[in-house]
This record gives sequence, C-alpha cells and structure tokens, in this order.
Amino acid sequence: MIEIPEAPAPAPAPAAALRTRGWLRSNPLLAAGGAVSALIVLAAVLAPLIAPDPGDAGSATHPFSVLKPPSAQHWFGTDQVGRDILSRVIYGARISPLVALFVLLIACAIGIPLGIAAGYFGGWLDDVIMRLTDIVLAFPALLLALALAALLPPSMTSLTIAISATWWPWYVRLIRGQAASVAGRPYIESCRALGISRRRIIFRHILPNAITPLIVQVSLDVGGVILTASALSFLGLGAQDPTPDWGLMVSEGQTYFTTDWWVVTFPGLAILITAFAFNLLGDGLRDLLDPRRVILR
Amino acid sequence: MTRYLARRLALAAGVVAGVVLLTFLIAHAVPGNPAASWAGPHASPAQVAAAAKYLGLDRPLPVQIAKYFAGIFTGNWGLSIHTHQSVLSNIATAAPASLELVIAALIIALAVGVPAGLVSARRPGRPADQAIRAGSILGVSMPIFWMALILQLVFAQRLHVLPVAGEYSPSLLFTNPLTKVTGFPVLDALFTGNWPMLGSTLSHLILPAVVVAAYPAGLISRMVRAQILDTVGETHVQMARALGLPERDVFGRYLMKLAWSPVSAAIALVFGYSLVNTFLVESIFDWPGLGSYAVASIGTLDTPAILGVTLFVAIAYVIANLIVDIVQAVIDPRIRLR
Amino acid sequence: MKRHRALPVAAGSALALLLAACSGSTYHASTQPQQTSAQTFTYDTYTPVMIDGWDPATEYSNGIIAMSLMYQTLTHYNSATHQIEPELATSWSSSDNGLTWTFQLRHGVHFHTGRLMTAQAAADAIQRTIKENGGAAYIWGAVKTIDAPSEYTLVFHLKYPSPLDLEASADYSAYIYDTQAAGSGGNLTKWLNTPHDAGTGPYSLQTWNSGQEFEVILKAYSGYWGGWSGAHYKRVVFRVVPQDTTAVQLLKSGQVSFIEQMSPTLWSSLKGASGIKLVSAASWQNLLGQLNTRALSLPVRQAISYGIDYKGMIAALSGAAIPSSGIVPAGLLGHFTDLPNYSYDPAKATKLLNAAGYGPGKKALNLSLTYTQGDTNESIVATLMKSDLAKLNINLSVQSLSWPTQWAKGKSSTASQHQDIFMEYWWPDYADPYSWFINLLATEKTPYFNLSYYSDPTLDGMINKVEPLVATDRSAAEQLYKQMQVRILGTAPILFLYNSNYQYAMQNNFTGLQVNPAYPNVVFVYDLKPTGS
Repeated sequence: MIEIPEAPAPAPAPAAALRTRGWLRSNPLLAAGGAVSALIVLAAVLAPLIAPDPGDAGSATHPFSVLKPPSAQHWFGTDQVGRDILSRVIYGARISPLVALFVLLIACAIGIPLGIAAGYFGGWLDDVIMRLTDIVLAFPALLLALALAALLPPSMTSLTIAISATWWPWYVRLIRGQAASVAGRPYIESCRALGISRRRIIFRHILPNAITPLIVQVSLDVGGVILTASALSFLGLGAQDPTPDWGLMVSEGQTYFTTDWWVVTFPGLAILITAFAFNLLGDGLRDLLDPRRVILR
Repeated sequence: MTRYLARRLALAAGVVAGVVLLTFLIAHAVPGNPAASWAGPHASPAQVAAAAKYLGLDRPLPVQIAKYFAGIFTGNWGLSIHTHQSVLSNIATAAPASLELVIAALIIALAVGVPAGLVSARRPGRPADQAIRAGSILGVSMPIFWMALILQLVFAQRLHVLPVAGEYSPSLLFTNPLTKVTGFPVLDALFTGNWPMLGSTLSHLILPAVVVAAYPAGLISRMVRAQILDTVGETHVQMARALGLPERDVFGRYLMKLAWSPVSAAIALVFGYSLVNTFLVESIFDWPGLGSYAVASIGTLDTPAILGVTLFVAIAYVIANLIVDIVQAVIDPRIRLR
Repeated sequence: MKRHRALPVAAGSALALLLAACSGSTYHASTQPQQTSAQTFTYDTYTPVMIDGWDPATEYSNGIIAMSLMYQTLTHYNSATHQIEPELATSWSSSDNGLTWTFQLRHGVHFHTGRLMTAQAAADAIQRTIKENGGAAYIWGAVKTIDAPSEYTLVFHLKYPSPLDLEASADYSAYIYDTQAAGSGGNLTKWLNTPHDAGTGPYSLQTWNSGQEFEVILKAYSGYWGGWSGAHYKRVVFRVVPQDTTAVQLLKSGQVSFIEQMSPTLWSSLKGASGIKLVSAASWQNLLGQLNTRALSLPVRQAISYGIDYKGMIAALSGAAIPSSGIVPAGLLGHFTDLPNYSYDPAKATKLLNAAGYGPGKKALNLSLTYTQGDTNESIVATLMKSDLAKLNINLSVQSLSWPTQWAKGKSSTASQHQDIFMEYWWPDYADPYSWFINLLATEKTPYFNLSYYSDPTLDGMINKVEPLVATDRSAAEQLYKQMQVRILGTAPILFLYNSNYQYAMQNNFTGLQVNPAYPNVVFVYDLKPTGS
C-alpha cells in the first residue's frame, strides 16, 4: 500500500552511495529485508530443484494422505487433497512477486508518459490528467481492483489488470511532480532557447531525475501489490485451483483451520514474510537514496 | 473561509460525479448481459429483449448515463440479485456495523500508533526505535485475512477468552433486548444502559477491530516518527531547546502539534483503506456489515450490489477526505489561503 | 427446484444473503423472554431454512426440516423396518388391479386452525397440491380422481397402477393441510406466506425471523392428536449458523442440541468430546457427474468412468462418503451390489481413449465441469477428478458456480453453453428409486434435470413400465430396476461418484433419534425424549 506521496526529492548527492557500508551496519533490519527478499526470489527461481514434490504445485493429488500434520516427510503438512504444502508454498513464490512485477511495469508504462505530459506541458493537459487521476484515486486502492476483478472472469490475468488499473495514478502524480519541478528550472529554458528538442530534454534531463524517486516508490509498492493480490485471491477473484497462490491456499484452508491449522498458517506466513521483506527493502532504499531523511543520533 | 469551503465542496462534487460515471463505465464495459441477468435464468429471448427495453439498455449511451445519474441521486441504486431487495436499503442496513468496526479500529490504531511513533522518534536508532519500526512495518505487511483467522483460532477457539464471531451474543436478545437508537450496537447498549449487552458488544468487537487496526497502527506510527524527525531540526524547536526548555516540554508542546498534521491528513486515507479491509475480515467473524454483504455479492455475481457497495465506499471516502480537509483548514489558516 | 446439499464454507456468510431491512425500534423481532432449555430443542443449520416460502404444496428445499414438524402426511416411511406406517391414515388397501386405493383416516385430528381433518379436507389439500404443480407434485401423477365417500374414507382412482401408499409418505408435496385456512374467498398462498401454518403436526409456528440467526421458532400444539404425555420438547428453535466451527462451539456450550452439517474433519475431531454424541448414517443422497452425451462419445464417457480414482475420493472425504453401486443407494428397492460398476482402471481408460484418438501422448481432450459453489466436498472431488484425468491427457477445466447459475447454464437452450460434466447431488422424493430415472435419465425435450441430455427410447420404455410394476409385482419391478441400472452402466451417461453419509453431532441429553433417509436431515422432535442431563 502506498503512503501519502511526498514532495519530489532533488537529485541524489553522489555521496549517498558512499555512505552505504556504514549505513548497512547501522540498519540491520533493512539489511535483513534485502537478504530475505533475495532469498525469496532465489527460491522462486530454483523451485523445481528445492521443492520436495514439484508435481504437487500442479495438478497432482494424493487422496490417501489428506490433511496430514507437519512431519519429517511433509515439513508443512498436506492439504485437503493431499498435496505437499511446502512445495506449494515454494512455487507460490513465483506467483506473487511476478504479479507485482507486471503490475508495477504496467503502472509505470501508463504513469510515466501521462506524468510527463501533465508535468512538462502543463496547461489543460495537466488539468485533464489530474482530474482523471483524482477520480481513480477517489477509490480506496483495494476497492476498485475488487470491483473490476469481481466483474471479470477470475484468473491471474484479470487480477493483474484489475490491480494495474488502480495503481497507475500514483505514478502519474510522482512523475508529474518531477517533470513539473524540472521543467520550471532556468537551465531548461536555456535548453529550449538553444533549440534542443523536447524529446532530448525529456530523456536527458527529466527522466534521469525521476528515476530515483520512481525506484523508491516501486520498491515500496511491491509489498503493497503482493498484499492486494493475495487479498483478491483470498476472495476467489484471482488464481484458481490448482495454482499454488498463497492467498488462494489460505482461502481453501479456512474450512479445515480449526482442526488442521497448518493448511492456512504456512501460506499466510509466506505472504507476511514476503511483504515484510520487500517493505523493509523499500524502506531501506528510500533511506539510502533520499538525503532529506535526517537521521539524528 | 467560505471561499475555501465552496471550492472544496465543488471539487468534491466533481469527484463524486466522476466516481459515479466510472462505476457506470465499469458496469457496462465489462462483458456480460445485464438484461439476461435481470430477466433471470428461465427467460426466453423475447423476455430478455423486453428486459433490455425496461432497463433502458436500448437507449443511446448519454441517455443511459443520465438515467443512471438520476437514479443514483434519487436513491435508486438497483435491485440486489441475491437478496431481491433494493441495494441502497441493503447497504443502509449493513453500513453501521462496518462503520462501528472501522471507527473502533481507528481508535485502537491511534491509541497504539501515535505513542509508538513518539517513543520511536524520541531516541532514533536505539533498540526501542528499531523494534517499533519493525513492528510498524510488520503491521503494514500483514495479510489481514490471515491475521483474522489466526487470532480467531488462538483467542476464541483455543483459549476461549473472546467470542468466535458475531456482533453480540444472540441469546442475550431474549433476556436483554437491545433497542435501536443510533444503529451502532455498542452505542445503543451504552445509551440505554443495557450493561450485559454492552459487555457482549465490546467483547465481540475486540478481535475484528484489532485485526483491522494493524495496518493503520503501523502506518500512523511510521508517519509520526517521520514527521517528528523531519521537524526536529526546525528553528523554533532548536530555539526552544536553546532556551533550556526540558526535552519533555519540547516534545509535548511543539512536536506533538506538528506530528498531528500528517496523521490527521492520513486519517481519511486509512479510513478508506480500513473500510475496504473489512471486506476481508467480516465474513470470518460473521460481522453483518458491508464486507459480508460485498463478499456474498461477489459469490453470487450480484453486479448491482457490487457496484452499489463500490460507489458507497468511494463516496464515503470522498466525504471523509472533505471533512478532514475542512477540519485541517479550520485548524491551520495557511491552508485556507492557498 | 432440487436443491443441492452444500457443505458450509467459512467465508461467505449465508446470513448476509437475506439481510432484512431493519424496521422498528428493536434489532430483531424478539420473542418471549423465558427460555427453558430443558424443553427447547435447538436445531443448528448452516443455511436459511424457509427460503422456498411457506406453502406445503410447493416446498422443495431445506424447509422440510421445519415443515415436517408442522405438517404431516397420510403415511410415513420407516427406513429401519422398510415399512410404510400409519400417520394421518390408519389403514389402507388397494384394489387387485392397483387402480383404486382406499385410505381410512384417523379420527379426531385437528388442523392448527381448529378445523377437523376429514377425508374431504384431505382430498382438497391433495387436489390443491396437484393443481399448484410445484415441488414434487409429480408424485400424484397417477391420480385421476379423489373421492371422500364418507367422513373418514379417502378413495383415489388412478390412471395406471402406482404405489400410492409409498407416494403418500413423500417428504415433499404430500402434506395434508387446511385449504380453508384463509377463509372463504381468501388467498391461501398469501395467507400461508404471511407466514402462517395450517398443518396437523405436533408443533406450530410461533415466530419467523426471516434472515436472522434464530430464524424459526415452533411451539407445541396443545391439541395434537398424539398427546403430550411423557417427556417431550415443547419448543423447537431453528438457528442459522453459517460457520460450522461456530456451530460446534455452540454445541459444546449447550446452546444448540443438534448440528445438521459440518466438515468431515471437524466431525471426526469431536470423537470423545464429553456430552456430545456423534451419529454417522447412510443417506439416500449420492453425488453424480452427469456426462454430456451429446458432446462426448460412448468410448470417451466410459474412459472417464474408468479414469476416476473412486477409492481415493472416498478416502479424501474422511467418512462423509461411501462407495456407490449403480444409481440406487442401499436401503431402497432396486439396490444391488452385484452390478457391473466402474472401478479405477487407467489402463482400460487409456485404451478406450486411444481408440478415439485421445490419451497420453496423443491429442489432448479439453472438458469442462461445473459444480455448486460453497460446497467444499464437491470442490475436493473436482480437484481430484482434475488430477486423475490429467494423467489421461484430459484437461478438465473446473468452474464453481452458484446453484442457480450452474443450473441455468446446464438448462440453457444454447447447446454450446452446456458443460461436459454436471456435478450435483440427487436424492429421492419418496422411498423409491423412480425419482432418479424419471428426472435424470428420461428423455427431455428441453433440458431440466436430465443434464446428460440423454435420450434412450429403450430406457424410456423401461421407465414407463417400472412404476406401475412396483404396485402390482414388486419383485418384477426390482429385476427391472436391475436391468435399467445395468443398461445405464453400459451407456455411461452418469458418473457415480459416491453416496453421502450423514455426519451428525448432537447433545447427549436426549434419546429417540432415528435417522431416516426418507426425510433427509429431518429430526422428528416429538419422538425425542429429553433426559434433562
């Protein structure tokens, strides 16, 4: 979930990168976040190798060993059709971060051009685009995604479309702020006077300045998208069985929860840890790249 | 002040109009045949055509939009397919329960988040700060449907210290019937002096409210911390320190006021976010609010109800933002002059 | 409409489905404050009870759990003894050709409206039920005329022989009620839906809180012909609790007496719990997968029948299911264990598929299955089927739909909308296997319940023959049912997945419960003896 967008930050000072080592030492949480995020991505990539029963993440079922508690054979137990939960949780790591990646790519693909158009050109274009984003932002994030996803046929594609449709306005605002602040600078006027094309200005001056806050915002948003996606899957609006989506696994396991706690606990824990890790990472990147943040000793 | 008020109201009205338009577009852009759903599963093609005519679906688009707007503003939000009742009346019945839940959650979030943020900012970088920062990030990373299930299992099913589900104990209705005054069970029990019912409603409120409070608490604590650390270098604070005022006073009088500003701005945001979060939590706790209604509507593909709830929450969100802006303008004159 | 038996799912509160606009100054219609639990039997169900209205002629859903306490039938089927017992009729006989049935009615029975039940009153009720033609009115299909030659003698003249004594014991559309309850010129249906009840049963309606947790409250009818001597429950409360875990809490704390349904694992976890009794009993309900005979050829249908791990399915359902043999469940006429049933044989399935060009290594076959949303057992079965068929290179796409949507899709006039496999439960309307055949397998011009779209003139001929045969030559009827089942096993229009087991949990403080699959999930509370422990 995105926090209130803050005022655009000026270009980062080169010294920021040199502070990294000392910063890492004094921020163990953030280092941990980065490490865990990397581990999750690694698990997703290596899933076929590390999962004990890769077939269970697909359509394989084992009806004679349903709802077995955690044991040496099945570290996370088995679900209501006998599938190994550990394997499904590992394969689930492929789904959430990938959805987040697509959503944020689409949000950037929409948000960057619109933001530049609004911020750089200003005028009526700015007004129109801003009103449009205001209206979309008038819906709390999950709500619009939910309404869209509920009306589309349930699938991961619909889920991705629905969340992207609600996420892009933040990026418009962000880029617009950047574009507007840069566009107003005197040296840009000089560029124009010299006859340098708008395109060059956009690509050589505006975009590079916008990259850093964009990276910060994206990394902060990964956790939010993962939570939104798992919430929609929990409601049955995203992944369908047998896809090993964590939100779906929690939803399917609800009926058995009081007698077989492991079906719900481990997938949910995976969502928590993943969102937590990416949020820590995002926080850390923001602290690193945003020199406005004064850390008082 | 009135100029600011007028401007804000006009802006809000414009946004609401845009929201209504957007829900209309969603309803009609999405694949599906509303006339067929209305006519029902047994309808013949002739009946479906008649339904289309009745629903005005054969009219040109601008006319449809105008009719839709007119319907919304006169209270005709359509008929819910799964309850066969007016969507607006369903929402009106369900809304108080959700509002009660969200308000209780916000109270908990403020009570936990603001002090946590202050403590965190007091000695930044120290273990307490690290722990609170970790906790608040945990709060905003929590999948709340999972948290609801876990807490329900631990506290209600296993430890039996809290009730499993519901707004209050239904058997109490026989011995201590509750009269409706405000529509909020907790307040009604309080106002009518119905103590057993008050205890029951409060104990039933605890688990769902704590779950919904997790995200706002985390968010508020982070914002308070950030705001204080940002303003701690400001000149008037430094001046207060230079004058030798004790740190406690500096914190209490100056920084608190400044910390409040982003929090109050965020209230509307977390209100909207929490209201939607109830969708995930209410069905787990059998809480008869908008969330349960929305989930049931999703399950039965009840398009009018889904859109009605979406519209309602969006409008509530716009109004919440409006109220917060006006309150902030009242407190801080600089805003009015912008 | 035949209602599916859905297993509760924690998400999605059924209570929210019927939010009544709250009017008035109280939260819920309150009832009398005193509530002696020793005399109150609380039946916990997971879905609203009276969703089909209050008309005993047209009720065709969950409402019988309450209606069977307010209304009665001429005869009653005792599934333990396989005997038809007297209820509102004390004796009956049929003519030699089976075309005339004479019932002697019980004297001194009064409707809850106060009127005396005579043969004419009973005739009026049945005739109205036939006229309304809702619910299971087809059970009276053989009736030509009904006479009441004397005050307590009821005579039926039939068009063809039919086991009327059995049909009169049906759980739907066989109730005897007061057709004059609304007064002369009054609209009876409207009067009934107020709601009021016009039955003869031991309990009568006290309160109906539509859409709320304590939905139906019944009180003892003091003028009941059976009398109230001895220990009886005086009040019956139907409590709607969508979450089975909540229901179990209520049972453990003594707030409910009986839980209708819960997940099998939850039921098993209650073994040994103090004060709680568990009852597991075979029902007459089976889970079927109707195969689209127009879209799927015979070898493919047979291959699918061989390609499903039935034993695995039953193992996964932890006691909620038992194997089926043919289409007729145990305890009914026409049940046989020596039928050519399908068993899990992937090799045979592969051979059959290969002949049609499908199977592993060859062309993939794409099939669609629909099941009823909200039923966790069906969801597990669908998942298992998907994985079983995947091994045969069959891609089964599974869709969970709400029952009205699932049914509408199956009945659609556009054949391309039809699913390949329609999963639903079926159970009979009276203690006879006829219901399965006439509803699911007889040729239909427009699809209604025959969602295999199966048309078999030979079978139709057998179906027409069998019902009169039951009335005149029972053992011949039995053999005919066997032949019919052998035939449909050969032509494979339906997958017989399993037979359901009732899994009830209840308090230990009463005796006398008899599980009777002829009246699914009905607890005849009058017959229970509270022991007050």
